[in-house]
Amino acid sequence: MIERILRALDALRIETYAISETDTESAEAFYVRRRLDMKRRTALTDYSVTVYRPFERDGAACLGSSTAPVYPDMEEDELRAALEAAYRAAGLVSNPAYELYAGEREDFVPSRSGFAGRSPEENLRAMAEALFAADVHEDAFLNSAEFFATRTLRRAINSRGVDVSWERCEVQGEYVIQCVSPRDVETHHIFRYREPDAAALRGEAERAIERTRDRARAEEPPATGTYTVLLSGEHVATLLGYYRARSSASMIYQKYSDWTVGQAVQGDVRGDALSIVLKAAEPYDGEGIPLRDRPLLEDGALRTVHGGARFSSYLGIEPTGAYRCVEVPTGRTPLAEMKRQPCLHVVSFSDFQIDSFTGHFGGEIRLGYLFDGERERVVTGGSINGSLPELQGNMTFSRERYRSADYDGPFAVAIRGVAVAGQGEA
Amino acid sequence: MKVEHSAYIRRNQPLFQELLRLLLKEYPYASILAQDSRERSYRVNRALSSVGEDSRDCARGFVVRVWDGARVAEHSFNRISEERMPELVERVRRAVADAPLPEGVEDAACGAPDDEPLTFCDATEYEIDPALMGDDAILSRLMAIRDRTLSRSDKLLDCIAQATWNRTTKLFLSPRRELTQSVLWTTGAVIALAARGQEIKDSMISISNLGGMELLDRLEAGADRVADTVVELLDSLPMVPGEYDCVCTPEVTGMIVHEAFGHGVEMDMFVKKRALAERFVGERVASPLVTMRDGAASAPQTGSYFFDDEGVMAHDTVVIDRGVLHGGISDARSAALLGTVPTGNGRRESYRRKAYTRMTNTFFEGGSDRVEDMIASIRYGFLLEEPASGMEDPKNWGIQCMVNFAREIRDGKLTGRVFSPIVLTGYVPDLLKSITAMSPEVELSGGGFCGKGYKEWVKVSDGGPYIKARIRLG
Repeated sequence: MIERILRALDALRIETYAISETDTESAEAFYVRRRLDMKRRTALTDYSVTVYRPFERDGAACLGSSTAPVYPDMEEDELRAALEAAYRAAGLVSNPAYELYAGEREDFVPSRSGFAGRSPEENLRAMAEALFAADVHEDAFLNSAEFFATRTLRRAINSRGVDVSWERCEVQGEYVIQCVSPRDVETHHIFRYREPDAAALRGEAERAIERTRDRARAEEPPATGTYTVLLSGEHVATLLGYYRARSSASMIYQKYSDWTVGQAVQGDVRGDALSIVLKAAEPYDGEGIPLRDRPLLEDGALRTVHGGARFSSYLGIEPTGAYRCVEVPTGRTPLAEMKRQPCLHVVSFSDFQIDSFTGHFGGEIRLGYLFDGERERVVTGGSINGSLPELQGNMTFSRERYRSADYDGPFAVAIRGVAVAGQGEA
Repeated sequence: MKVEHSAYIRRNQPLFQELLRLLLKEYPYASILAQDSRERSYRVNRALSSVGEDSRDCARGFVVRVWDGARVAEHSFNRISEERMPELVERVRRAVADAPLPEGVEDAACGAPDDEPLTFCDATEYEIDPALMGDDAILSRLMAIRDRTLSRSDKLLDCIAQATWNRTTKLFLSPRRELTQSVLWTTGAVIALAARGQEIKDSMISISNLGGMELLDRLEAGADRVADTVVELLDSLPMVPGEYDCVCTPEVTGMIVHEAFGHGVEMDMFVKKRALAERFVGERVASPLVTMRDGAASAPQTGSYFFDDEGVMAHDTVVIDRGVLHGGISDARSAALLGTVPTGNGRRESYRRKAYTRMTNTFFEGGSDRVEDMIASIRYGFLLEEPASGMEDPKNWGIQCMVNFAREIRDGKLTGRVFSPIVLTGYVPDLLKSITAMSPEVELSGGGFCGKGYKEWVKVSDGGPYIKARIRLG
């Protein structure tokens, strides 16, 4: 199909283009309690073709672009019409000119994951065994689970010589733990593994069972007020995602962020200074730009503005490619010590979010542990609402580490002065 | 004008029928859903513009479901030809044969899928065909809306004007059913942005319709409001946590309907014993003022279609009838397991994904109260505007909804003070039972997508009237 696309582009005299090809094979399984409810397989080939059109408008050099819908079964006429329509549309898009990333043909990069070399069915089976191995209790049990094991082959080509291909293998999914007594409650968990770390999945499930038991005995929200809030696990990854978003070339070019390299973006640091590394979890990004580890923040100061060819060109910086993964050095304070101070440790939200435009973070509390300085009690309900730009100078990171598919860093962070809406008036 | 059916699906229908014939030689039941979706998006802001068709909803492909006499399996694919038939049949065989069964887990048996005879072919209507209107004209309209918005205030950092249209044809074939539908929906949004230090405040209007680009007029009419609102938000205050008397705009009502209650009556959750609502059928769960409906046939909006992704015709389901929970919504498989009638709510993100019970157009019916009277009745409270996001909790009926801002009401009047952002929390029946007033007009909006947890995004609409209720804000 790639050859057909290239021939059609040539026939239409479209000189600037980017093509991506993605072959995905997956095995999927859906469990309800200890029954396999549905099994699915997929075999999909997807193409994305972006065509670029240089022109001048009001004396300024422009490069318009548009993406055409291209499907593997397209007939020649339909393919040509789709590319032609996209090229016409590209002439309407008067964005400032820039150069696509320049590269060359590189050898295929196979996945180094332990999942590679085995079928998605085998990988799914191994991880499902691990999850169900944790399901050994009567009172708190696996309510349902979904597994998606995929093997993906990606190829990125462009008119400036890029021709790279690589493999990705992973298993992801979700599960629900239910505890029926003293209250019938559940907790919902999502997972994604790049390596066949069965022990990690089983361990997470065992901890999830413990926490679901705690939620079953939690009755009251915390009192309305201002707290030192502890976030942990994936919520720390979500919170720190703010820094990756605000430092992107796209946000900076569009003036949604005014961050510059060297700027102390964490503000006046009274707690732990923040350092973040952008991690190259794959050999290339979607544009075919080679990825390597890069410092994003060092001691609270911005070290890298990151992005693809277009926005990097607009800002006159080196294109770094697009990153999903970060590594954060752990802090010096043990979690146990953090929890010796009065705090609200929220371990489960309905949906913890941070708005990268405003820096506001929050969510409804599904399970938290409130320590008032003397005793700890389990709480549920109410919400937290904070502003990271206002509170970021006074954070403490745990010595303990947490790893997930896109995050490797402190397990917990303590943030002082977070508003909590709970029982009673402020 | 009626939407035209996909020429690709028409042309290849004999191939789909041949594949079905081959599968039925091996299995007592098989079905094929073929999908051809075009989705084109337009976006302009101060610095940039874009036109393109690269999205999750631009999809052309197929999903086969087979029942081997006991169990169900599916295979999704997007290449089909006469030459590939043997390979496709073999892939389906492998999907049926492979059963990942950890120790102690059994392969669940079920009955044959319902296959009463049915033939159907229809399409939705539109006034202005986006393809005929053309990219140039659509972009020009959006640029005019952007410029008009930016001209309202020099405090605006940016304005994003965007529009999307989606035309989908689906063909469902089973031994006794042949169903074809084509649906066109269009959405548009204007987002005004202004900076307050590191914080970027925004205000958004989102408009949608079951139809074509005729919606651009309505989008333009709302542009001034978002420009004025975002300037107001520059002086917004943090909410003081507490429980307040609130008036919700139809958009916020819609989010409460959808997130707080709608997800809880998706009956695949009943199968898993994950929904508290299952125990409350026939009981009072809301104020007697509340009647709630869901259905692809309930309203002409972005959640509309003629049949669902399992070949079940669209319904108009009464979920809450004057405060009493009447029943839920279901996909075909969940209905079979529960012994109920499917309601035409079996939806897939696309042919690539599994079908789940999903909402469509979900809303509260209107009442008879005036908005001015609702506001006048509040000693201290808030008018809640612009829903941002929400998350369901069907097991425990917890609420999490994020709202962009709240206007302060004191002694029955809006004070002009604005608070932002806002988190709504609480217990669903408490909130729904606290509703004491509803306005007559019902507005639905389908600008966004609905996820099942954190995935499986489908187009829906939701809405209702202005309501007055007691709500915990943070």
